[in-house]
Amino acid sequence: MKMEEMSLSGLDNSKLEAIAQEIYADLVEDSCLGFCFEVHRAVKCGYFFLDDTDPDSMKDFEIVDQPGLDIFGQVFNQWKSKECVCPNCSRSIAASRFAPHLEKCLGMGRNSSRIANRRIANSNNMNKSESDQEDNDDINDNDWSYGSEKKGLWYLPFQNPNSPRRSKSLKHKNGFSVCTSASNTLPLLFSSSGELSNSDPFKYNNSTGISYETLGPEELRSLLTTQCGVISEHTKKMCTRSLRCPQHTDEQRRAVRIYFLGPSAVLPEVESSLDNDSFDMTDSQALISRLQWDGSSDLSPSDSGSSKTSENQGWGLGTNSSESRKTKKKKSHLSLVGTASGLGSNKKKKPKPPAPPTPSIYDDIN
Amino acid sequence: VQVSKMNKDAQMRAAINQKLIETGERERLKELLRAKLIECGWKDQLKAHCKEVIKEKGLEHVTVDDLVAEITPKGRALVPDSVKKELLQRIRTFLAQHASL
Repeated sequence: MKMEEMSLSGLDNSKLEAIAQEIYADLVEDSCLGFCFEVHRAVKCGYFFLDDTDPDSMKDFEIVDQPGLDIFGQVFNQWKSKECVCPNCSRSIAASRFAPHLEKCLGMGRNSSRIANRRIANSNNMNKSESDQEDNDDINDNDWSYGSEKKGLWYLPFQNPNSPRRSKSLKHKNGFSVCTSASNTLPLLFSSSGELSNSDPFKYNNSTGISYETLGPEELRSLLTTQCGVISEHTKKMCTRSLRCPQHTDEQRRAVRIYFLGPSAVLPEVESSLDNDSFDMTDSQALISRLQWDGSSDLSPSDSGSSKTSENQGWGLGTNSSESRKTKKKKSHLSLVGTASGLGSNKKKKPKPPAPPTPSIYDDIN
Repeated sequence: VQVSKMNKDAQMRAAINQKLIETGERERLKELLRAKLIECGWKDQLKAHCKEVIKEKGLEHVTVDDLVAEITPKGRALVPDSVKKELLQRIRTFLAQHASL
């Protein structure tokens, strides 16, 4: 039979309807048959009556519809008011607070060591016992800043105690900023680049430094003999990394010590590393004036080929170390200055070398 | 010699069925019907009826034919009207779409 011979359009509606009904009946019959087969198989395999339970069990699992209970009949919030005994400290703790308490109690949580160390530091300072709650950080901070203020502002003569920077919001991990809001006598001593990573084990207040306002003079001295101590701009805290921490320079460390302990303070460890970013303004100005006659700025650090490692060469060597600096600071003119102070701080015990034999070097290069 | 007599209507019906199967519409319609019957509880009703029949007949002696004979009429009757209407509607739509073929 060919499809062309037939055309549905030739049929009238009644016939179409009849056909539709037939199709429908076929479909229903198919479903019924399918169902029969399922049942028959279930009967023969033995699982047809499996979901029938006896009336007694049915009653047990009836849905509960009383107010205050869920459909299983359990009371909501039943365990909140229960108390557990901590196996560590043998105190009775509310169930919902038990997990955080255990974390602090066993010293295994993320913040537990931080807070414990802070407490120790604070209790050493003030000889007071801290409250036990961890979320009293804010209150504690305010207490300490108040206390330090009452001690005669030994720590920071020029800092406004009510400065908004004292708020908690300043505690963030990265960056350095100028410390004070008032007179900025020490802006250059604080590093202005780089980021501290939180790798230091002594973490105070979620930053990597110590708040020097809270430390007594003895504490400060001992701290400064073991730690870097440079005050970060952003958080106004002392760096707790080692004395050779790469984030800060010896100049900065020395300045901090001078500031805190008097002009006679010296760095506990004398370094001769070349890694120096600092430049004293006065020194650099003197050197710049000395170099004024040298108009060429072609003395870029790229002439590593001609540089010799002897310290007397000055510029050549300086360019080596300043080259690394240049990648950080990207200021070519500073390389000269950096070089000069690099030389200056490299040899702390020697006086600065006289104006190096630049004419000869220039002769070589040019 | 047997001559199979198929009048035009029968031919028509056969052609339509063939079209249904070819386009896959028949499968779709079957699935739709099955889903709707489960949704409306038809299956559960029929299952309860089955249980009675089987308990009557005895679990061991149930045959397919018995079941079919008992259940199919009941099943046809139990289909709710809404399901029937919807299915018929779809069939008519299909027929209308393929009228020119």
